[in-house]
Amino acid sequence: MAFHFPKSNPEQSTTTADAGLADSPHHERPRGLMRWVLTTSHKEIGSLYLLFSLAMFFIGGIFALVVRAELFQPGLQLVEPEFFNQMTTMHGLIMVFGAVMPAFVGLANWMVPLQIGAPDMALPRLNNFSFWLLPVAFTLLLSTLFMPGGAPDFGWTFYAPLSTTYAPPSTTFFILSLHLAGISSILGAINIIATILNLRAPGMRMMDMPLFVWTWLITAFLLIAVMPVLAGVITMMLMDINFGTSFFNAAGGGDPVLFQHLFWFFGHPEVYILILPAFGIVSAIIPTFARKPLFGYASMVYATASIAILSFLVWAHHMFVVGLPLVAELFFMYTTMLIAVPTGVKVFNWITTLFRGSITFEPPMLFALAFVVLFTIGGFSGLMLAIAPADFQYHDTYFVVAHFHYVLVPGAVFAIMAAVYYWLPKWTGHYPHERLSQVHFWLSVIGVNLTFFPMHFSGLAGMPRRIPDYALQFADFNMVSSLGALLYGASQLVFVLVVIKCVRGGKKAPAKAWEGAEDLEWSVPSPAPLHTFETPPTFERPAH
Amino acid sequence: MWSVIKSVLAAFFGVQREQQRREDFENGRPVSFIVVGIAMAMLLVALVALVATLAAR
Amino acid sequence: MRTLLERVAAGLTLALISPLVLANGWNMPIGVTGLSREIHSLHMTIFWICVAIGVVVFGVMFYSLFRYRRSKGAKAANFHEHTGVEVLWTAVPLLILVAMAVPATATLKNMYDVSEAEIDVMVTGQQWRWRYEYLGEDIAFTSNMSTPREQISGEAEKTENYLLEVDEPLVLPVDTKVRLLLTADDVIHSWWVPELAVKQDAIPGFVNENWVRIDEPGIYRGQCTELCGMDHGFMPVVVEAMEKDDYESWLAERKEAAEQESMGIDREWELDELMERGEKVYGSICASCHQVDGSGSPPAFPALAGNTEMLDDVEWHIDTIVNGVSGSAMPAFRSTLNPVEIAAVVTYERNAWGNEAGDTVQPSEIVEMLEE
Repeated sequence: MAFHFPKSNPEQSTTTADAGLADSPHHERPRGLMRWVLTTSHKEIGSLYLLFSLAMFFIGGIFALVVRAELFQPGLQLVEPEFFNQMTTMHGLIMVFGAVMPAFVGLANWMVPLQIGAPDMALPRLNNFSFWLLPVAFTLLLSTLFMPGGAPDFGWTFYAPLSTTYAPPSTTFFILSLHLAGISSILGAINIIATILNLRAPGMRMMDMPLFVWTWLITAFLLIAVMPVLAGVITMMLMDINFGTSFFNAAGGGDPVLFQHLFWFFGHPEVYILILPAFGIVSAIIPTFARKPLFGYASMVYATASIAILSFLVWAHHMFVVGLPLVAELFFMYTTMLIAVPTGVKVFNWITTLFRGSITFEPPMLFALAFVVLFTIGGFSGLMLAIAPADFQYHDTYFVVAHFHYVLVPGAVFAIMAAVYYWLPKWTGHYPHERLSQVHFWLSVIGVNLTFFPMHFSGLAGMPRRIPDYALQFADFNMVSSLGALLYGASQLVFVLVVIKCVRGGKKAPAKAWEGAEDLEWSVPSPAPLHTFETPPTFERPAH
Repeated sequence: MWSVIKSVLAAFFGVQREQQRREDFENGRPVSFIVVGIAMAMLLVALVALVATLAAR
Repeated sequence: MRTLLERVAAGLTLALISPLVLANGWNMPIGVTGLSREIHSLHMTIFWICVAIGVVVFGVMFYSLFRYRRSKGAKAANFHEHTGVEVLWTAVPLLILVAMAVPATATLKNMYDVSEAEIDVMVTGQQWRWRYEYLGEDIAFTSNMSTPREQISGEAEKTENYLLEVDEPLVLPVDTKVRLLLTADDVIHSWWVPELAVKQDAIPGFVNENWVRIDEPGIYRGQCTELCGMDHGFMPVVVEAMEKDDYESWLAERKEAAEQESMGIDREWELDELMERGEKVYGSICASCHQVDGSGSPPAFPALAGNTEMLDDVEWHIDTIVNGVSGSAMPAFRSTLNPVEIAAVVTYERNAWGNEAGDTVQPSEIVEMLEE
């Protein structure tokens, strides 16, 4: 693999570009459904990923609403505890692996080639394959709901032995489905790395790349590093369930804690996989609408790399109460505190970018600003959780639920929303409806905070997570959370409306849809034609 | 070599000057950054482990 | 019971009040042990640090958003780097964190110091109850949730300690260092009482240690905090802390009761007696999976009513309860139940819900079997 660190090689870029085009000759394009099944265009595959992610976002959202409806009042009203556990589990799995990850891959598909001036992804057919694995994987996962014994019910972290010896028979299907999703992620990551390293426009060096490209490059390396660990751990589960091994079965000499070490060695970098591309998106949007270059670009890149490395050294902070030795406890507390520093640096950089800018508040900017504020709140609770002795009180309570929903919903999901609003003009040629977008934004912000802020209190007051019924003192907090969840869920229908309206028509967008936007994608027409950068553009470095 | 170490340290700290970054990307070879980066990561682990061991006494 | 509307209104008001009103029920309890107070103060320290950072960061952010609006004619500057500022805002958080790490380390070391405990209690998690064994005292019992199912389903009014009440709490003396040894029989559970600031996973195949020294007599309630299956939400922990004298007399009472129970092993029991005892055991141990009416919830939990395999082979029936079924959710009750209880529950299962085996199983038979 050619690794051009300082300079890109123009000749190589053109040859690969031609090869990419040869895959999809204009006159032979299939029509109708087969067009989408066989497509190798990064734009069409990007759209498929995003639509798939949207569908999963709603399915996972419905599961969440079932959970919140049951928790609206104390007592069991709507579902049985078994089904409640299936809902929490499926909600987590669908949202993490089916909604957020594919959304970021979809955005990468659409935007990475456009931002680096490449005609397509480096491996277009592989790209098609890695997308179509996903509908298969998640159909398989959702089908477990209709199997005897029900769907997986052991939480999205599937701790053994609850997920092995004590699991429903459908667990084997869950393992297969996760394997497929994992293969899809690895192939997608390989493709993104190959594209970024080989297909940059002549003259664009690594350090000229937009931050979205940078963060995705680092994310892709994280994916390749940790997805095999996940594959390994679920294969060990498969062996324990079906072939009589005892990796995690204490009665057979196995070790249930080993499962948690392996899971979180995957799981913690996974958390950063879910958030680093969001950092890239926000780093594109804030300078655009502050009309001012991003403050500390070099520091941002370095901080991202630093987070990526540290993310491998903090996994056991999820395991402070499993009985680790004191030294391990201290080690992971210190590394966890360290990782807060580069994350803080990013927030400071965004805010300094705003300082002395010329700021306007278009829909993408609204979501990006909400991201900065609410993600930081999630960061604060993260900092509190890092204090190991205090974590003994926070662990596995609603305080943790509040924490990771703050970093994932108004964090990752808001960043995805911001990205969609930011790039919709490029995708459709129309601006999203301004007033409806604002309605979507404000309802989402109110809904998200009503849902997740009270969870801090119910957690501190003593409510454990993953329980279908609760003691009376938590009733008020839960009722607010449930109402907020309903509002947040319903307001996403407005989002769908905005997208449909935008595809159908609306105010026409020029090539450079946002006044302050700088990157290469704004040099191609809106909507972006099926083939862009067939001859590589010459990259001109911004004046700074 | 010293400048490579300095740049990697800056990366760990998360702050780098534009001027220095430009020099790195024009003159440095990627391999040396990666090797030094991995070595420094191991050093960091050792250092934190040492502090934790001492603190646990 | 307030009306729904009133509670919605109260809840919304609650959410709108500033989080700085940290009254009871909103925040981590201060608790009743030295450690819980230490942890609470760490929690408040880091909380106020976060608030301070938040005020500065969000202050600058909202000032910028307000002051530099283009609609007010703001012209963008073009600066994009300042190493001094960047070093400063990396170094300051680093120093704050180091300052935070020092007391946190001290507290953690304190939490890990289980030496010089006066009482050892073995805590075993089982789906879905806790078992307490006072090591060296020959006392052991299980602690089941005592909230009636009618309250959960809404057929009865929920009472004050809904879901947080048990038939037999863990009884501990105050001002005494108690070491807790935690393990589990089936899946991972986690034993938590917020007021005591003790939360520790109970893991099959492992024995974890933790300790507690309670300052004030009282009843302290908590729950299992590690998802452990269907009834994870119905597995409360209740600790009753007593003055030392009261504890001693409680201990003596328990010992006497245990002695009487062991005398029951040798005598012949009537069918009615066994059925009565068996119903109690079944209700607290078996009913959560196999249901009160013995209908089970197949395929995971087979029905016992009309179960011919069980009715035709009494030896197999007893063996299943004593040794469990490996690879399934059925645990071994060899050490959880005493011979009288095993005999009673077997007899009950064979003669309840229309099952008509008609035979009794005597405690002495179980003793014989256990000795083999």
